[in-house]
Amino acid sequence: MKSTLQWLARQTWFQVLFWTLVLIGAWEAGATLVEMTKRMPANIMPHLYQILQAAFSGQEVSGGMTATQVVLKASAATLGRAFLGFLLGALAGYMLAFLMKLSGVIEKMIFPYLMLIQLIPVLGLAPIILAITGNINSSRLVIAAILSFYPVATNTLAGFKSVEKDKYDLMATYAAKKRNMFLKVLIPQSIPYFFTGLKVAAPMAVTASILVDTLQGDGGLGCILSQALKHAMSIYVFWLIVFFSAFVGIFSSILIHWVELLVTPGVVVNLLRKLSIGKEAGAYGRKNEKVQKKKKYPSSVV
Amino acid sequence: MEERMRKYKRRKSILRRLSESPKAQKVETVMLPVAFGILVVALWQGKILHRLFHTDTFVLPVPTKIFGIMGGITDKVIGNTIDTLLVAGIGLLLGSIIGYLVAVIASFLPNMGKGGLTIVGAFASIPIAALAPVMNNWTKDVSTEASFRSMISKILVVLLIAAANMGLNAYRGLTELKPYALDLMATYAASKRRIFVKLQLPNSLPYVFIALKVSVPASIMTAIVSEYFAEYITGIGRQIRENIVLAQYSIAWVYITVACMIGIVSYALLMVIQSLVLKRYR
Repeated sequence: MKSTLQWLARQTWFQVLFWTLVLIGAWEAGATLVEMTKRMPANIMPHLYQILQAAFSGQEVSGGMTATQVVLKASAATLGRAFLGFLLGALAGYMLAFLMKLSGVIEKMIFPYLMLIQLIPVLGLAPIILAITGNINSSRLVIAAILSFYPVATNTLAGFKSVEKDKYDLMATYAAKKRNMFLKVLIPQSIPYFFTGLKVAAPMAVTASILVDTLQGDGGLGCILSQALKHAMSIYVFWLIVFFSAFVGIFSSILIHWVELLVTPGVVVNLLRKLSIGKEAGAYGRKNEKVQKKKKYPSSVV
Repeated sequence: MEERMRKYKRRKSILRRLSESPKAQKVETVMLPVAFGILVVALWQGKILHRLFHTDTFVLPVPTKIFGIMGGITDKVIGNTIDTLLVAGIGLLLGSIIGYLVAVIASFLPNMGKGGLTIVGAFASIPIAALAPVMNNWTKDVSTEASFRSMISKILVVLLIAAANMGLNAYRGLTELKPYALDLMATYAASKRRIFVKLQLPNSLPYVFIALKVSVPASIMTAIVSEYFAEYITGIGRQIRENIVLAQYSIAWVYITVACMIGIVSYALLMVIQSLVLKRYR
């Protein structure tokens, strides 16, 4: 019995499950307390089952749509733009890092400003970008792009710079062309760093997009959130959005981790092997995992 | 012989010499960014930036005008800046302390602690836009004074973000020790408390600064964004928003400039503190 418990305590999934249950317990305790003492408990801390009930009830809350439909329709607008901006920003970030690697002059010229962007509260710029672009959709896109641009650029550049001198020497002994140098060494080396940048950028892009919504009424998540908060519709819509956006924020970096595993050579093969043979997982996958763990906190690059 | 050597040793081209001399390199590192900055400001002042972004001087005023207006409303700007700084500062301080304590507790529970930190890390990914209104609701009964309770709610949002950041990094600092360091401590028959004070604590200090490098700008950004949702109208972020709603774009730009300056100054300050603190350990 004791050894089973010890084994369980070492499993990551069990730890996460355990702490999630603790959190749920704490929430429910709080909700019960609030229910007994407050006049409008639903505003402050509704029970989780009440939120779930609201999610699955067929009751129409606004414009002939149920609460879940409202949230999903709003999130389609918000998250679609966030994703597009994220992709654009990531692409631009990678390109800039590439350019900075190619030319020392460009690097010296732009790198200090890249650092500066990190210190500027870009989300504070949301209203002004809305004023400049004049269109909520394009401003969502622009802000998500700016926010995802700099973590990707700085991390990718760090990846390019992390190439050891031995590798340059080896390529020199092969008399490799510059093009091959990039294709065979620099770009593969930069990919894990690139993904670290993406993992930081993804929740930011979601936050930015929701925030921009609250500035102008156009049916995004943030817009519905402020409407529900003002009791224009059921308050449970507000709670649904809170939990949904928290879920999306957390899930976005997990999703990118999965994408990273997919594109990392050898990991998928290893996973399949693990499933079929069991314990005989190759060393390659584990090695990669270690490398990724080391680079978890990209901001140390700064 | 001398003649022949000279023949082979051709003068290098000026570009080559520039890229090889360390002095020129140093000058370049400073001059290039400055030149780039001047170029951008010149484009801005010369209204060429406006043409690029298809906008006008009403929405994007030229720098001289922004600073001119800033001089006119200094008192108001300082008042709002203090409000934002208080929120960001207190939230950052309390959050970092709580995050560190959580990391210490987690490092004493090696098995379950790590999973707990995964959950803590998840808090950092929750959109501020969702967190801020929740905190507003929770702090309704803290005080009858609207300015005070909205400040508490803003601080709580900043605190959560800062704590998540610090918790994750400090845990790494407390547990990722140098190989054999623990073995060495074991040969000294050091007590757990001793190991903590002499080994883990110093080891975690650089990680604390890694966390702060992220959470200082993040806490300013969080403070600004949570002001958007706050009950009481104050702070840099809220002023940006309110002035844009009123179409007072040049005043909004004054506050944006201040926000950027706060970010840069606080980061520079952090760098100075870091070099002072970490010098002792190097």
